Amino acid sequence: MSGMFRSALRSVMASRSRFVLTGAAIMLSVAFLVATLVLSDSMRGRAADDIAAALAGTDAVVQGVTLGASDGGPGELGGSVRRALGPDVAERVAEVDGVAGAAPQWIGFAKLVVDGSSVGTGTATDVGRNWIADPVLSPFRLAAGRAPVEAGEIVIDRSLASAAGVEPGDQVQVLTATGMHDATVTGVATYAEADTAPLQRTVLLPDAAVPGWLDAEAPTEVVVDIAEGSDRAEVIGLLSELPGVEVTSGPDHVRTMQDAATSPLQFLTVFLLAFAVVAVLIGVTIIFNTFSLTVARRRRESGLLRAIGAERRQVLGGVVVEALLIGAVATVAGLAGGIAGVGVLRWLVGLTGVTLLTGPSIVSSTSIVIAATVGVGATLLSAWIPARRAAATPPIEALRDSAAEPRVVSPVRTAVGLGLAAVAIAGGVTAVARTSTTWLLLAAAVVPALVLCGPAIVTAAARWSAPVARRLAGVRGSIAAGNLATSPRRASSTALALMLGTAMVTMFAIVASSLTNAVGSDVREGLRADLVVTSATADFPTIDPTLAGRIGALPEVTSVASLAIAEGIVDGQPTAVGGIDPSVLPSMFDLDPVAGDLGDLRSGGVAVVGDDPTLLGDTVVVEFERSTLEAPIVAVVARSTGGFDAPAHFVDRRALDASVGGLLDALVFVDLADGDAARAEAAVRELVRATPGSFLSTRAEHVANSGSEVDAFRNFIDGMLYLAGFIALLGVANTTALAISERSGEIGLLRAVGATRRELRRIVRLEAALLSFVAAAIGTAVAIGFGWALIEVTGGTDLPSVVVPWVRLAVTLGVAVAAGVAAAAWPAYRVSRVPVLELVSRGR
Amino acid sequence: MSPHPHSDVLDSTVLGPTAQDPDVLDRGSEGTHRAGADDAAAMLVGAVKRYGSGSSSVVALDDVTIAFPAGRFTAVMGPSGSGKSTMMHCAAGLDRLSSGRAFVGNTDLSTLDDRELTTLRRERIGFVFQAFNLVPTLTAEENICLPSTLSGRRPSAAVLDQVVSMLRLGDRLHHRPTELSGGQQQRVAVARALVARPQVVFADEPTGNLDTRTGQEILGFLRSAVDLHGQSIVMVTHDPNAAAWADHVVFVVDGRVHDVVDRPSADTVLDVMKGLGR
Repeated sequence: MSGMFRSALRSVMASRSRFVLTGAAIMLSVAFLVATLVLSDSMRGRAADDIAAALAGTDAVVQGVTLGASDGGPGELGGSVRRALGPDVAERVAEVDGVAGAAPQWIGFAKLVVDGSSVGTGTATDVGRNWIADPVLSPFRLAAGRAPVEAGEIVIDRSLASAAGVEPGDQVQVLTATGMHDATVTGVATYAEADTAPLQRTVLLPDAAVPGWLDAEAPTEVVVDIAEGSDRAEVIGLLSELPGVEVTSGPDHVRTMQDAATSPLQFLTVFLLAFAVVAVLIGVTIIFNTFSLTVARRRRESGLLRAIGAERRQVLGGVVVEALLIGAVATVAGLAGGIAGVGVLRWLVGLTGVTLLTGPSIVSSTSIVIAATVGVGATLLSAWIPARRAAATPPIEALRDSAAEPRVVSPVRTAVGLGLAAVAIAGGVTAVARTSTTWLLLAAAVVPALVLCGPAIVTAAARWSAPVARRLAGVRGSIAAGNLATSPRRASSTALALMLGTAMVTMFAIVASSLTNAVGSDVREGLRADLVVTSATADFPTIDPTLAGRIGALPEVTSVASLAIAEGIVDGQPTAVGGIDPSVLPSMFDLDPVAGDLGDLRSGGVAVVGDDPTLLGDTVVVEFERSTLEAPIVAVVARSTGGFDAPAHFVDRRALDASVGGLLDALVFVDLADGDAARAEAAVRELVRATPGSFLSTRAEHVANSGSEVDAFRNFIDGMLYLAGFIALLGVANTTALAISERSGEIGLLRAVGATRRELRRIVRLEAALLSFVAAAIGTAVAIGFGWALIEVTGGTDLPSVVVPWVRLAVTLGVAVAAGVAAAAWPAYRVSRVPVLELVSRGR
Repeated sequence: MSPHPHSDVLDSTVLGPTAQDPDVLDRGSEGTHRAGADDAAAMLVGAVKRYGSGSSSVVALDDVTIAFPAGRFTAVMGPSGSGKSTMMHCAAGLDRLSSGRAFVGNTDLSTLDDRELTTLRRERIGFVFQAFNLVPTLTAEENICLPSTLSGRRPSAAVLDQVVSMLRLGDRLHHRPTELSGGQQQRVAVARALVARPQVVFADEPTGNLDTRTGQEILGFLRSAVDLHGQSIVMVTHDPNAAAWADHVVFVVDGRVHDVVDRPSADTVLDVMKGLGR
């Protein structure tokens, strides 16, 4: 074994550059994987730990009865919409036997405003809650200053304080559902030890300020400290008997909160892992290609060994030990690099606006084990398969055989592949026809179909592209196209990596553009108002409700319509319900009524967004926190007001306020009087600018901005793709380099009969460009088909139509080809260094 | 100084200073390669090729001066490791000399950079190798025309037809190398070497991989190219029967020119080789 090890080591050292490339591929894959795992652990772990620590003293939580799951909103991290509690619930809870302490927790919207501008951007929500004096029950701890006592005094969380540069004693403002309030910062608090509660920016108010600022009649929840010595289960049982409450034990509550806080991260983790898988796949391809060639080259040698009596295992062993050696070294390097590279990933994730990325990285042994197993395992496997194939060859055949891979493409393989492709297409079509996700699974057969058909595709591509290449680049084109077909299997596995990469870019591009379109199309088609006031964040209203009235009072303004959005539960599903003034809004935003009369909203009716006029007259039940709204459908409209959380139902604004409580405006539409439009706009702008949490856009700007939320996400995806793409390009470089070393005789010949170095480099680049183009084109085509089916089937009303961003796809294709050519630069340089005499030495 | 071509080879192993004067070698008319008998198609002057350095260095060519006359078929023979291949590689601009000079026609190869050398190879030299002679992705015709195509030209149709018919390749032009027999492949290689009418053709064991009959056929083609078109050919071989087709045989031993035999027969060549056999 040690002899085997020594010879393996010698062999690695002998062909260093080839193994550096292989090692780099493994290293990058492992690094990517481990960074992903560490990052997701860190994000999850950090938030989970903070929540557990902050709620450590809470033994039970009394909340309103659950109406349904929530889509998210301030203070709704628990993930459900609940019926409001009774106003006296805290006193009642305190009277229950065994309760040592009970504190009402009021949670609402509060946004810190410093020097006229609001603090904090990104996905975190702005939360206002009352300061709980009992240190056992309060999740927040004072880090500086003192607790708020009088109305007008506040404490803010430490990350807000540092973001705004505010210290205790500073004068600030707070925007809440009741408008703008002046406040003095009396202290800075931490959430347990953390600077901020997960995904929240918190303003803590004294109890005295709650009625006037949060506009709530009853606390959101009551946190309970159960006395020492009492039976917790028994106390929780007693609490549950109170009317209109649900009681959750402390640990359960912590778990719920943890899940809610980390759920936005879960989809990120899924994406990250998907990319990691692609990276590993590409890495495996590279390793597989390299070892295939290594083994093929050694076939004669191993044939000789076998002829003189070496066992199959002994021939195999050398290669496997070699693979183990490379795999182990590269994996260790990858682990180190990946852990060091978590920062890069953090930056990438930061592009999405997710801001839960403070604190140290959590490197769990599971992450290490998974990444290491994948790294070493993938290397071993991709070396073992070709080695086995070689060892299975009878010795004499191996001695005779040349190193070249057979150029024949197995027709059976292609037939099976075509069969699978047919199944995939049929599955996709059926899925679309029946709107069935199950059938869509069949469409995934396209991936194995591509794997199987790869060699045939490459051969065909070489044949079809030859005349084109010939016309473009003469005999060099013919050579480049022909070279593609010389080892179809290797070329196709490289192409597969590129195909996967491009397919992913394309899919995301299509989903993103369809999403942008879906979010933006209603606005594009329905908006009539001259100006639109928007909220600070797309997913939560932040416009001071008094602003609309003040704009309306301007002489330059003819009319103003505001939109409020509240979350209610319809048929158990969370639904955005819009509150409008039906006499004004339709003239500013054309909701495109299909049936009925929006004016009937005044008499307590509901309008639904949809295209089915027969809904008219049905009764809708919307459950809100404070009351249940049961009303007939008086209108069906084809359009909503745009954006991610566009209302699916509309009611009269007063009805909504009555059911939910004071609401901030999500949008305010403004129509200007005839006359000097610029002056009128300036007047409105001045007013809006003085109102934090609100922003003014013209009609054109608002149309253009609609759907821009998707862009942040797209940045993140793009960032990930650069990484995956980089690894795919290593694959191109590797394959090209392998092909060159295999063809050194031919290259020597070309040089001898008069091809200059530059001409050879051109041939190599052309070959890489052809391969990249074929791969990228197929990847794009497959992704368009699959993406289209996916959106058609699962998109529903969120993604009503598929929008293929052709320009962007064309650019992606161009970039892929250009990158493929760039990846061939190094092998092309190597080509020019192949000594002309190489061919003569090969002849010996 | 215009001796008989055969004695020219003999004399040129000890060429006088006048022969090294480019003016003497200048043929004036660059276009035609059917040079007069007093021209050298290629020449080595004081050629030294050393591999490695210091005590481990090996001298493959040891101060060789030799001219390969134009319009003649010269065979180069010698035992393994004698330096015969190195001599050809250096004369053909495939390898560089450690010292001394190599000429193709009147062009001093040592003054050319890689690019110029490459251009010279494709325009003024033809090659036939033992194996790896053809680009596998190109058809026979494309292979034949490859050097011209690389220069951005097409060989004249008349010459192409002539060469193709001489080598009896008419029905094989659109086949790829893998679809051709070994002999046919080698004929394509010969056609490629001849079609541009180069100043000199270098053939490195062109029959080494062929059976006797096919080998003789190839040698016959090379011979007719010399006889009919005045082509200059230099062929490295270890086969006395192949050498017998040449006008002269140059014997190389230990990196030096050991002997030159004019109008050789297989027997005379064999005799000389036996004399070398140590």
